[in-house]
Amino acid sequence: MLFTIAWRNVWRNRRRSQIVMISIIVGVVAVMFNDGLSVGMVRQMLDNQIGSHVSHIQIHAKGFNDNRVIQNYVHKPELVERTLEGTPGVKDWSKRVITFGLLSSAMNSSGGLIVGVDERREPEVTSIKASLTKGSYLSGKPHEVVIGQRLANRLKVGIGDKVVGMASALNGDVGSDLFRVVGIFETVSSEFDKTYMFTSLASAQNMLELEGNVVEYAIVIDDIAQVEAVTAELRRKLGADYEVLSYIDLLPLLVAQVEMYGEMMYIIYMIIGLAMVFGIINTMLMSVFERIQEFGVLMAIGMKNSYVFRMVMLEALVLALLGTGIGLAMGSVLLLILNAVGINLSMFTEGLTSFGVGAIIYPRLTIDSVMSVVIIIPATALLGSIYPALKATRLQPVSAIRYV
Amino acid sequence: MEVIRLERVHKTYSDNGVPVQALRGISLQIQQGEFVVIAGPSGSGKTTLLNIMGALDKPTKGAVFLEQEDVSQLSRDTISAIRLEKLGFVFQAYNLIPVLTAMENIEFTMMLLGIDEKSRRSRALEVMRELDIEELADKRPNEMSGGQQQRVAVARAIVNNPSIILADEPTANLDSETGGNLLDLMERMNRDHNLTFIFSSHDQKVIDRARRLIILRDGLIENDTVL
Repeated sequence: MLFTIAWRNVWRNRRRSQIVMISIIVGVVAVMFNDGLSVGMVRQMLDNQIGSHVSHIQIHAKGFNDNRVIQNYVHKPELVERTLEGTPGVKDWSKRVITFGLLSSAMNSSGGLIVGVDERREPEVTSIKASLTKGSYLSGKPHEVVIGQRLANRLKVGIGDKVVGMASALNGDVGSDLFRVVGIFETVSSEFDKTYMFTSLASAQNMLELEGNVVEYAIVIDDIAQVEAVTAELRRKLGADYEVLSYIDLLPLLVAQVEMYGEMMYIIYMIIGLAMVFGIINTMLMSVFERIQEFGVLMAIGMKNSYVFRMVMLEALVLALLGTGIGLAMGSVLLLILNAVGINLSMFTEGLTSFGVGAIIYPRLTIDSVMSVVIIIPATALLGSIYPALKATRLQPVSAIRYV
Repeated sequence: MEVIRLERVHKTYSDNGVPVQALRGISLQIQQGEFVVIAGPSGSGKTTLLNIMGALDKPTKGAVFLEQEDVSQLSRDTISAIRLEKLGFVFQAYNLIPVLTAMENIEFTMMLLGIDEKSRRSRALEVMRELDIEELADKRPNEMSGGQQQRVAVARAIVNNPSIILADEPTANLDSETGGNLLDLMERMNRDHNLTFIFSSHDQKVIDRARRLIILRDGLIENDTVL
């Protein structure tokens, strides 16, 4: 019955309740949109890094990540490959040779990363093939190279042009080779596009005199949520001679950024919550003051203070739950639509690509966001109604009944 | 059986810093089943006395006993519980909960006592039948006349089987016929259920029905007569 009273009291002053609910709805939608956009943006940054090169897990010889030289190549590739084939959760993998080097054309030269990839397996692991805007992907023939559009611009080369790659070979000499550009890719990261050059694994091994050895295994797994479990399993199987690193180990700054955005959202929730608290205090105080005589009667006929307190709190909760529910539904629909169509921020493309985000942001609706709204907004409303509820309990029945 | 006893009860209010003595040492006893009217001119202390007898207000000095229990020094919640179980109130302005129907208003005090919904409904229907207000069950206060609201208020007051009903000017807002009908109803409740009724009123029609009349003047009992 207390709920019935609370529900009906909410609708006694329909306009006031509607205004409060609209403010809650706007707050909820705004916070969900902001949350969804931030999460979408940083997750896209992360996904782009994972998809373009990093992959979910990488395996190297021990020490490679601290000293990224080809002398730290994987000594027993067959052991690694056998382990990968026998580990549940591993979806695909590719092997690579990777080294810093100098790329030169007839017009210009630029430092960058020369990556030799298994051209058959790599497209299953990363998205470079899908990011090609000109030419074709590596066919397996020697001396083919695929480069980023920004690197092509810097070197002033196009499809069919020659570039020379130079890097320190296994024996310490300078290894060099002539390549022909067969494809140009464009990812959402401007930094990536001006740094990376991909050639076939055999071409890279040949230039660096690696004689069939590989430096890196890039792995994608079935379920990214299991990345730590799969990494741990691979570590256990491969032992101390190998370093098995998940994208969390490889992209610590980005992962920290994802977490930081999550924490920042709580601050935004608090700011919106604080604004809501004052709205609720105001509304509930008005509601209590309008019904002083009624509270007096309720107390006179035997309603205890705790009941009076609960009644006011329940009214605020009903208001908050209605506002939160509607806001949540509207925010969810908005985010689902935006997640499908994206938000075109092409006017900020230059800035976004330097952060590795595309021009189109796909906001995400996360369970964290929904849970935060469901918990924080009603809790805030309850917090805001404590003072009015206490005010109601402090009324004296005799004077309250006579209050006009 | 004594249901209310007042011993040298004083009540002093502060009116903008000026102390006003509303009651000046009133002592009285009321027995179960009495039909008492407290009358007197405006400002004589009728409502204050009724409020103190109903444990709605505390005396400045003196003691108030409800069914032998001193209620003048109890906590708010304890007093609330006593009011809920032992007292029923009928107010001049009816004071039904506007968002509840007649049936729900009558059920409300039972809900406060923690009685389950089925029992509440059955008891409320029983009382409504007795007061002949069944047809009002689903009506809200704003859909009822003053007389109908006051009958619902009486039903709310008696539904928990209290020993005392306190009625502050219950007929003040009713026309004489409706007021008369209400008094008939209260007299019947008094007769049939041995309920104690205490009225504060200066309405002659109410005073005429009194079986004990207490006249107050300037916070003192001027006359206390069993009629």
